[in-house]
Amino acid sequence: MALIELDHIGKAYDLGLTRVHALRDIHLAIEPGEFVAIIGQSGSGKSTLMNILGCLDVPTTGRYRLAGRDVSELADDELADVRNLEIGFVFQSFQLLPRASALENVELPLIYRGIPRKERRERAIEALRRVQLDDRMKHKPTELSGGQRQRVAIARALVTEPSLLLADEPTGNLDSRTGEEIVGLFLDLHRKGNTIVLVTHEPKLAARCPRAVRIVDGLVIADGPGVEVAMANAEAMGAEVVAQVLAASAVAEAAARARAPEAPGS
Amino acid sequence: MKPRRIGGLGRVVRFAAEVGDAVVQAARSLLAHRLRAALTIAGVSVGIMAVIVIFMVEAGMTNSFASQLNSLGPNTLYVHKWAWGVGGNDWWKLRNRPVVSQLDYRAVVANATLPLAVAPLANAEAVVARGEKEVAHVDVRGTAEAFLDAGGWQLRRGRFISDLDHELGSDACVIGADLEDAFFKGQEPLGQRLKVGPTARCTVVGSLVRKGNAFGRSQDGLLVLPLSSFLRTFGARRGLTIAVVAPAGKVMETEDEIVAVMRAARRLGPDQADNFSVNRQDKILQGFNQTMMVTNLVGILVGVITAIVAGIGIMNILLVSVKERTREIGIRRALGARRASILMQFLCEAVMVALVGGALGVALGAGAAALIDLVSPMPASIDPKVVLGGVLGSCLLGAVFGLWPALSAAFLPPIDALRHE
Repeated sequence: MALIELDHIGKAYDLGLTRVHALRDIHLAIEPGEFVAIIGQSGSGKSTLMNILGCLDVPTTGRYRLAGRDVSELADDELADVRNLEIGFVFQSFQLLPRASALENVELPLIYRGIPRKERRERAIEALRRVQLDDRMKHKPTELSGGQRQRVAIARALVTEPSLLLADEPTGNLDSRTGEEIVGLFLDLHRKGNTIVLVTHEPKLAARCPRAVRIVDGLVIADGPGVEVAMANAEAMGAEVVAQVLAASAVAEAAARARAPEAPGS
Repeated sequence: MKPRRIGGLGRVVRFAAEVGDAVVQAARSLLAHRLRAALTIAGVSVGIMAVIVIFMVEAGMTNSFASQLNSLGPNTLYVHKWAWGVGGNDWWKLRNRPVVSQLDYRAVVANATLPLAVAPLANAEAVVARGEKEVAHVDVRGTAEAFLDAGGWQLRRGRFISDLDHELGSDACVIGADLEDAFFKGQEPLGQRLKVGPTARCTVVGSLVRKGNAFGRSQDGLLVLPLSSFLRTFGARRGLTIAVVAPAGKVMETEDEIVAVMRAARRLGPDQADNFSVNRQDKILQGFNQTMMVTNLVGILVGVITAIVAGIGIMNILLVSVKERTREIGIRRALGARRASILMQFLCEAVMVALVGGALGVALGAGAAALIDLVSPMPASIDPKVVLGGVLGSCLLGAVFGLWPALSAAFLPPIDALRHE
């Protein structure tokens, strides 16, 4: 059974007299353990889709099943519980509490899970260890670099062991080297069995993902291996982007070969 | 795939953890904006202090009034033409009553069996002089021996006016402590002569122990003459008051007896109403309570106004806090905070401000009480009920005025809150 089943999802906003369709008819299924990039230009509806996937918003039409539960018609409190239980968010702007330490930030979702204090602390420390930040636990977000902040955010997303890791432009506010570090972290998490949905507008990032879905005007227009979808997208965007995608796919292949040297034909 | 759930125990732990987190976050938020918080807290504490002081002063007034009334003698009845504590409307009914006369006094003395003491009272204001020295506005009383017991006075020197003085119309007089101080500082007053009013002379035969103030004026500026001498000087048609000391616990019976004796003396038929009044000190209390009710209402009004002003301060600080922490609200909602969690968090901040303010206000109130106690004759203290009321009241204030901002925070759509810059 699929982890995510979107069934003819539509989302419309009433803006006075006009009705804007952010999503028209999205049909999508994501299996547990997949790493899917959702790619699209700004205004394509990918953010709306991301909000619906993250249960931050509800669709106007269609059905959304997440982890075996129909969440398209849940009440607000139930949605809050689903967000806590099933989803780990990683945002472009990190979204850490400024006055809380890294450790307290990572503990926060466990408060809403109802985990006792001692276990909260242990699990938060463990999550920070997984992103190699266990030496920065007492630091406030302002005392951390961008990459470190995003790693705190990833630790916070991981600490609840969510069914779905939802990343919205996670490298958008980072320089390319730090961004690469974060992408590497996501690939690593994917290898360890996490299901990841990554929303981006960059074809080169989508090219690194095993699967990519391209959204245009609220419709899915391409769904396939990351490199292919990214390439189709990049061709429309010009030679420079094509070069970026080619470079990215080369990196991805090299990494795949390095991981599985015994696999024949790779 | 089985949907995950938060179990019953988890909900309990979650609630406890949310409360703990809310307290920590509220404290951090207030500490991060110390000046803002301090100003609001000052507002709340001044308000709470004002209310406490108002009610404390009121309680003090009531207490001191009650103890002053006691100085009139709790078991003393006063037979008089006028009824005490009666408003203007009845004045017309009472003004045509005959005055209480010496005949009424003699009738009560002769016929009433229950009273421990019966004293006639007449008073006038006069200038008292000794040589060059004059004292104006002296409360001159005409009475008999029983006055000492009826009024709760004690002799300091010499003797009191005796019934013989009254019968003889002697020129003996007894002076209060104020007069003794005024005329005979460091001298022996007994046997000295005083001039009372324009014509009368009297010889001091005794002086009274100081009694202190009642209703804001000294009771000790008095000069007591035998009733007969008083009437000779100040006019015989003057109305009297008859003070009747009832045995303890038999005040009502004594009152009934006095009414019967008076009615008989005045030959009132069964169909005629009393043309005199038997007054007790609690009738004054009734009048006083009416006055105090107005003061009370003013106190309550001031309390309500200060509460509203302080509450608006709390609401303001909270609205600013909600605005500043909008992103945080979005983050928390994304991580699984329910509306109730957000609501509680901001209510917690409001209650914390109010509580600190309230505690400070109670402390200030206690300080004010100590000060009042020290500098004014009114005994003032703060009782535990006031402390509890101040603390609980300020909590309630915080919750009520924090509710709207907290609700507005709780009902922010999570996406909008997350996108807030």
